Amino acid sequence: MILGLETKKLKRTGYFPAFLAGGLLAAAFPLVNMLARSETFTALPGNPFDILTDANGQMMAMLNMLVSLCGACMMYHTEYADGGAQRMQTLPLRSGRLFGGKLLIASLVLAGMVAVETAALAGCAAHWFPAYTAQLPPLIRNAAFQWLVTLPTVTLTLVIASVCKNMWVSLGTGVILVFTLSIFPQDNPVLSLFPFSAPYQTLAAAAENGRVLLFSGVCAAEVAAFVLLELVCQKVRRCAE
Amino acid sequence: MNRIETQNLTKAYGNFTAVEDLNLHIRKGRVYGFLGPNGAGKSTTMKMFLGLTRPTRGSFHIDGKTYPSDRTAILKEIGSFIEAPAFYGNLTGEENLEIIRKILGLPKSSVSDALELVGLTPFRRRLAKKYSLGMKQRLGLAGALIGRPPILLLDEPTNGLDPVGIHEIRTLIKSLPQQYDCTVLVSSHLLPEVELMADDIGILNHGRLLFEGTMEELKARALAAGFPADRLEDTFLAMIDEDNRKRGAGR
Amino acid sequence: MNLFSLAGVELKKIRRSKILLILLIPVIMMWIPSVVNAAINFDTRDIPITPEKNFLIQGFMGMAWFMVPATLVVCTVLLTQTERSGSAILKMLSLPVNTARLCLAKFAVLILLASAQMVMTIGAYYISAAAASWLQAYPFVLEPLYVCRVALSIYAGAIPMAAVFWMVAVLIPTPIFATGVGLASLVPSVLIINTKIWFLYPVSYPFYLLMVEYGKAAEGVYAARVDWLPWLPAAVLITAIALGIACMRFGAAERR
Repeated sequence: MILGLETKKLKRTGYFPAFLAGGLLAAAFPLVNMLARSETFTALPGNPFDILTDANGQMMAMLNMLVSLCGACMMYHTEYADGGAQRMQTLPLRSGRLFGGKLLIASLVLAGMVAVETAALAGCAAHWFPAYTAQLPPLIRNAAFQWLVTLPTVTLTLVIASVCKNMWVSLGTGVILVFTLSIFPQDNPVLSLFPFSAPYQTLAAAAENGRVLLFSGVCAAEVAAFVLLELVCQKVRRCAE
Repeated sequence: MNRIETQNLTKAYGNFTAVEDLNLHIRKGRVYGFLGPNGAGKSTTMKMFLGLTRPTRGSFHIDGKTYPSDRTAILKEIGSFIEAPAFYGNLTGEENLEIIRKILGLPKSSVSDALELVGLTPFRRRLAKKYSLGMKQRLGLAGALIGRPPILLLDEPTNGLDPVGIHEIRTLIKSLPQQYDCTVLVSSHLLPEVELMADDIGILNHGRLLFEGTMEELKARALAAGFPADRLEDTFLAMIDEDNRKRGAGR
Repeated sequence: MNLFSLAGVELKKIRRSKILLILLIPVIMMWIPSVVNAAINFDTRDIPITPEKNFLIQGFMGMAWFMVPATLVVCTVLLTQTERSGSAILKMLSLPVNTARLCLAKFAVLILLASAQMVMTIGAYYISAAAASWLQAYPFVLEPLYVCRVALSIYAGAIPMAAVFWMVAVLIPTPIFATGVGLASLVPSVLIINTKIWFLYPVSYPFYLLMVEYGKAAEGVYAARVDWLPWLPAAVLITAIALGIACMRFGAAERR
């Protein structure tokens, strides 16, 4: 029920088209890259899918985060702009479920975006590398990993958006976090586990360093921690207001 | 002599006609009350005078000038207050007026003059976003009155004011043509209000002009048509009601 | 009213909007990691570059790629929002002022804000270079003329981009979408500067100019010369078209 309600609230806000546009834009990166300079990549040794992920993954991850950030701001802006949130508080509804519904939608559309991107990478690999044949299981593993490492970031942006009533504050905070953490070196094992930094991790790179389980575990724990943080924030706000 | 004149002025948004074949005659030095229920087309007409929306058909002349060729010349003569008051929330009331003053190229004293006219002088240093609804309304009016322009377009200027404020603004508007030579077009959906301010009156319903003339002529017309003339409010309501009935029948 | 005094009026409108803070925060966020990671600059990974130039280029890289564009996006949206919230635009349109000129005056303010950020960046560079020198006991500080030239080239490259962002902000009335489109457009510039058609993508100009600077400082990393010919006419044309569209559409939604 909560999912249907939250989906209805996003009607005509352009939330879903924005994610679709973001997914298509991300899918265009490998295409443009291959059209412009395919010889740079076809000459490289290794798994074609991993080569393409390596070349485009960072931009895709950044775009995923930016679109999710805008989406989170949009979701809570519809709540705060005309006092919708206040009305929600006066309804017999657990406020934690409100956040849960939003998180569920955000994670679903993220999954959609990641799926489109993975398909684009696989398509390009199949087209430009004649030796490559796309197999579903490894693609699903890649997409699932990408989704999982991005999820803590999405959860955190939602928490930030729910805490700040002014959309611009949450947007600005998010943008600065996205860009600042993007310049930290990815080979640092601790920093790369942080939200806004973890999404740059690819399955191939994590597997090479034997960190797949570490990333999966830590990211899942981060999601749980941020949900808890949100619940605490809501308690604090109710006591403070 | 007419300050503002329209010839078959029409504005349509798709299938919806907001203003239809309007022929207004607003005389110099008078307060013209523009009366009509919500959505009758009063704001649209005023917006056309300001070049905020383009007429679909027909034309208008303001002091012999027309839009769009004389846009700047027309706007130099008009002080306007359209719909909700428009302001910059991050600036004080005084700073808001200062911006308008600079664009109009007026002397520095005109800001304090406008603040004084609407009674905002004590609150001039407060941020506009912290103003109450009534104060915002007054700020909007000050923005229209600044520099004492020869023509004033005021759209529902007493909206959101308390009874004391309504009385003050009404008195102010009524006194303007005497204070300095100006012509006022003021809209309202309340007849008692227009009755207290206006010399001439135009009644608009569904974009069409039902009546134009002086208050006395309205009374005479009401009597002739068998409407109650002792209370003009009833006259107005009866006229609108009859017009709505005719339209219903025409459909 | 001439453009100059109109720009003065526009500057007045953004008082108390905390815009200078918005300009300053990214600058600080960019240079603090540079100081903290200053030791990295000695590890040049076989690229023939001096540590002090490496420090400058790496620090400016983040600025040119996303912080300058991102602040421009935020500033354009902020400038259009000061008019749209409180419907102040209606009052402006009913004053005897040319709308196109009003639009250009706002663009002038945008450019001015960008230059303020550049000055802050140069200041932040010197502070952090001095701090890094002290921390690493190595002279990181470069001569002002060189630093200013690098900063100026990034700034000049940012102008066509600012024009495009300004057009986007005028055309898209919903602020979050205007911001989203702007931010999303920064991401691919790292890809575009490595293609032949980079000159068609204004968002990548500052990044490209910095990479040329990198190429000059370190042989073989990137082209060491700016390709003026397809670029300059393209940049002028793009700027003119973007500003033209912005001026035509400015306030169009409010005067339906």
